[in-house]
Amino acid sequence: MMMGSGFDIDLDEVTLAGAKRGDMRACEKIYRKFHRQAFTLASRICKNRELAQDVTQEAFITAFRRMHQYRGESPFWGWLRRVIVNHAISALRKLPRHEAIELEDYMVTSSAGQERLGQCMDLEQALTQLSDEDRIVVWLHDVEGYKHREIAKLVGKSESYSKTRLNRARGKLRALISECDQQPLQNMTHDTTLSATV
Amino acid sequence: MTAHEQWKQNTSDPLGLGDLGTIEPGYDGWDQVESALQNHHDGQQRWRRLGSWMAVAASLVLVISITLRNTENQISTKPSTPEFATSVTKFASVPVQDNIKALIGMSQNMEQQVKKLRQKSSSMPAEFAIYVAELEDLIAQVDNELSLAPDSIDLWGQRVNLMLDLAQIYQQQWQIDYGRMASL
Repeated sequence: MMMGSGFDIDLDEVTLAGAKRGDMRACEKIYRKFHRQAFTLASRICKNRELAQDVTQEAFITAFRRMHQYRGESPFWGWLRRVIVNHAISALRKLPRHEAIELEDYMVTSSAGQERLGQCMDLEQALTQLSDEDRIVVWLHDVEGYKHREIAKLVGKSESYSKTRLNRARGKLRALISECDQQPLQNMTHDTTLSATV
Repeated sequence: MTAHEQWKQNTSDPLGLGDLGTIEPGYDGWDQVESALQNHHDGQQRWRRLGSWMAVAASLVLVISITLRNTENQISTKPSTPEFATSVTKFASVPVQDNIKALIGMSQNMEQQVKKLRQKSSSMPAEFAIYVAELEDLIAQVDNELSLAPDSIDLWGQRVNLMLDLAQIYQQQWQIDYGRMASL
C-alpha cells in the first residue's frame, strides 16, 4: 500500500551499490527518484518552502556521504526517510522560537489547491496552524506510519507524550476544519499573509 | 482495498492527511548536491594523499635514524686500529651523505606542505597556536645549530621530525575547518 508521502519506492541493488561506491550517476538516480517525496516530507515538517529546500539538500548530501552506514537490513527508502526526518526536526530546533511564518510562503502547487487558497482553511492549511511538535507527530504517525515508540525517540520524549500530542493534533485539526465549514465563504477574506506562529 | 485495510487506514489516518499528496519542489537542486559531494570526495582524497605522504616521510626518518645509529655503533665498537677504522669510515660515509641529502629533500618538501596547509587554515585555537609557536622555536634552534654543523644527520633528522609535527597540527586544523565547511 502506498503511503501518503509516497516514500516507499523500491531501489535496485545496482544503483545502491553504485551510490555506495560514490558513483555520481547512481547518486543522481536516487536523488531524482526521491527528491519530490523528500521535499514533501521536509515541507510537511518544516512548513516553510525555503527551509524545506535546504533540509532536503542537506539530507541528501548527508545520506550520500553516509551510504556506507546503510546495511541493507531494512528498505533503503526507510533509511533515507529517517535521514530527512532527522534533518527536518533538527532544522526546526535551530529556528528561533515564535518565528512568524507567512501563509503566503506555504506551498500549494496543485491547481485545485491554488483555487482553495484564500477561500477556506482546508486540511493543508489547518496543518500549518498546528505547533511544530503536533504537526510532526500527526504527520509521522498518520501519514508516514511511524509508531509512537519511534516518534518518541525522534523528538526525544516519551511514548505517552507522542500519544497525547497525536490526540491533541487530530482534535485541533478537526476543530479548525469544522470552524471553517461553519463560516460563510464571503466572510473568508483573500488575506494570504495571515501569519501563524511556530 | 479490503474492508479490513479500509478500517485500518481510517484508524491510522482518520483525517485523510495521506490524501494530501506530494508537493512539487519547483527546483532541481542536483547541481548543488553534486558539487557538495564532489568537494567532499576531493577533500577526502587530498586528506588521504597527505596522510600517506606523511606516513612515508615518517617511515623514512625512522629508517634513516636506525641506519645512523647502527653506523655510529659500528664505528664506536670497532677497535681503533688505523687500517680497520679507515675502511669502516669509507664504508659509512657514502650512505650518511645520501641520507643527509634525503633528509634535506624531505625537509624542503615538508616546508612546502606546511606552507600550503598554513595558507588553507583559518585562525586556530589558542592551544594549537601555542604548539605551533613552540615547534617553530625548536625548528629555529635546530636551524641555528645546522648553520654551525650543516652535515649533521642528527640535526636534519630532528628538523624533519619537527616539521612533521608542525604539519600534523596544521592538518588537524585544516580537517576541523573542512568539517565545519562540509556541515554547512
